[in-house]
Amino acid sequence: MTNAVSSPKKRRLSMHQKQSLAGWAFLAPATLLIFVLSFYPMFSALLTSFKRGRPTALEWSDPLIRNYQFMLRDKVFLQSVTNTLTYLIIQVPIMLALAVIFASLLNNRNLKLRGLFRTCIFLPCATGLVAYSMIFRTLFTYDGMINNVLLRFGIISEAINWLNDPVYAKAVIIIGLIWRWTGYNMVFYLSAMQSIEYSIYEAARIDGANGLQQLTRITIPLLRPIILVTAIMSTNGTLQLFDESVNLTRGGPGNMTITMSHYIYNTMFTKNPNFGYAAAMSFVILVMVAVLAAIQMKVGDKR
Amino acid sequence: MKKLVSLLLAIAMTFTFCGALAEEDGKITIWTWDPTFNIKAMEIARDMYLEEHPDAQIEIVERLSEDIETAVIASNGDTSTLPDILLVQDNSFQKFVTNYPEVYADLTGKYDLTDFAPGKVAYSTIDGKNYGIPFDAGTVTATYRVDYLEEAGYTVEDLTDIDWNRFLEIGRDVKEKTGRAMLSGQAGAVDMVMIMLQSCGSSLFNEDGSVNLKDNAALKEVISIYKTMVDEGIFIEVNTWDEYIGTISNQTVVSTMTGCWILSTIMSLPEQKGLWALTNIPKLPNAEGATNYSNNGGSSWAIINGKDIDLALDFMQIYRNVDFYSAILPETSAIATYTPAKDGPAYTAGSDYFNGEPIFATILEYGAQTPSNITGAYYYDARDALGTAITNIILQGGDVDTELATAEDTVNFTMGF
Repeated sequence: MTNAVSSPKKRRLSMHQKQSLAGWAFLAPATLLIFVLSFYPMFSALLTSFKRGRPTALEWSDPLIRNYQFMLRDKVFLQSVTNTLTYLIIQVPIMLALAVIFASLLNNRNLKLRGLFRTCIFLPCATGLVAYSMIFRTLFTYDGMINNVLLRFGIISEAINWLNDPVYAKAVIIIGLIWRWTGYNMVFYLSAMQSIEYSIYEAARIDGANGLQQLTRITIPLLRPIILVTAIMSTNGTLQLFDESVNLTRGGPGNMTITMSHYIYNTMFTKNPNFGYAAAMSFVILVMVAVLAAIQMKVGDKR
Repeated sequence: MKKLVSLLLAIAMTFTFCGALAEEDGKITIWTWDPTFNIKAMEIARDMYLEEHPDAQIEIVERLSEDIETAVIASNGDTSTLPDILLVQDNSFQKFVTNYPEVYADLTGKYDLTDFAPGKVAYSTIDGKNYGIPFDAGTVTATYRVDYLEEAGYTVEDLTDIDWNRFLEIGRDVKEKTGRAMLSGQAGAVDMVMIMLQSCGSSLFNEDGSVNLKDNAALKEVISIYKTMVDEGIFIEVNTWDEYIGTISNQTVVSTMTGCWILSTIMSLPEQKGLWALTNIPKLPNAEGATNYSNNGGSSWAIINGKDIDLALDFMQIYRNVDFYSAILPETSAIATYTPAKDGPAYTAGSDYFNGEPIFATILEYGAQTPSNITGAYYYDARDALGTAITNIILQGGDVDTELATAEDTVNFTMGF
């Protein structure tokens, strides 16, 4: 803009300059907002992670990486990392496999009431995280519906105290996550499947390929890029898992189901507030997400 | 571009304007929780104040305790987003004033606290300065269902002034004869353990602020009794607060022992009217200084800096008025920590739910004999670590000494920052 004003000979901007200026004008507000609302707080949090002390009187810690050093000796933090990775390793593969299976079943053009089934599987995504966590909590209480049904059908002989058992409590969180997110991933696969030419399947059938072969030889290879995307998103989401841990199990029993984000929250808001340490832990999550995404891209992208 | 700049300016101005509004004089905003208890009491206080000051503007906003705590931490010292007065849990008071001394107004010499119970005032006193106006007592009461006791051949007198060994004997007998557990509570929330611990004047911290878990003989005695109760089914551990309340309203337990604020729950069950009796809790058999009295919960009002403190203080004078406490008692069953309140007519009246007994006068007597405890800024860190230890001991048969040592390490670790 200064250019245009300072050169009196060329008062009007060229077409190209105009367009580029318009482009910047459109980009500027969003960019500005991202910088102010996202990058600046991130940078500020990075600085905070090197500080310690009372929240309103933070000072540089000595050594600077003190908060990060403490993390390695913090048993609760290590427990929360183990818990989160357990959820990740068990839940993400099951969920993505289920999503692919559901998607390919629902992609069958001969299936009646497809729309209804799609809606049913996607519907859990429309429920709020807190709401579904609370409902799962109610379902899985000692005298809740799950125990009643299982007892009624003679599947178990004695009620299970789901939420007060380290293994069952983790299982409940994983079941909840699968229920909540399978439909979400399925929609990605379904839309990707729309772009796979239907005649390929017809040709495969003529060649005598059964349903399983069609799935493993045609659908999954062609879905690879979108599977990669959903895997990265799910990994990212699971590492930041918060609502389920807070509302479903309250991190308990003990700290057996607490997630990293939940522990960060506790460090800030329920225990004696420690801003520096909480910021440091959130940066560790950021690094973990970045590393895992990089690995997945390396493994998954075979173009 | 010009439009964008003017838009930004407009936004900036709106924010400044909002900030200015929050500081407006002549209006008091109050944050508190529980519509049947704290809010109700504040509404009565507001109405009494408005009678003498018809022009005053007092707004009471319902916010959960956790939300208030989160808001204070999130404001990080900027009081413009906070109200004039807010309610603070006694157990959290030290933590908040230690971390945010600039947020809480120092009331030393500005508010007369001489007639309040000293043990209560101690919760909101930090380095000799007073930051809180005491409200309700969390005096622990043991309430029993007389009909179930009778079924097993006991009366409430058999459970008065006893120790926990005797309580266990009776508990086993009652369980055998009626099939009901004596007590219930939230797993991992350690309310019961903390009540038993404070009944002998012991705390999770020493006087000097150091952690007192692994060498705390009283605590070990408490855990051993608690574990026996859970193992033998005398105490039912449930997972949520609602389930705990459910054990009382569904009549699955014979008794409940917690802060006297639970009475408002009991009195909301009309079908159980007249079936309850109130007495003191059992004492620890071996611990030094054991009593039959303890405290759980209770909170105090804090006044926020950077507001119209004089107006807030003037309004809070209501909390030094006997008539006020007499007015709130029947509506909220909030037990005063303002000592002269005991002479008010409401305190000597009998309660229909408790067979006409003057329970409020009894609770005030209990309160006067309750040992104080040490909270400090790291109270919830210690409580959390203790909860984990007890969960491990109960669920996985963990060794008491090892688990308490781990818990002490965890708290020391946090305090080492």
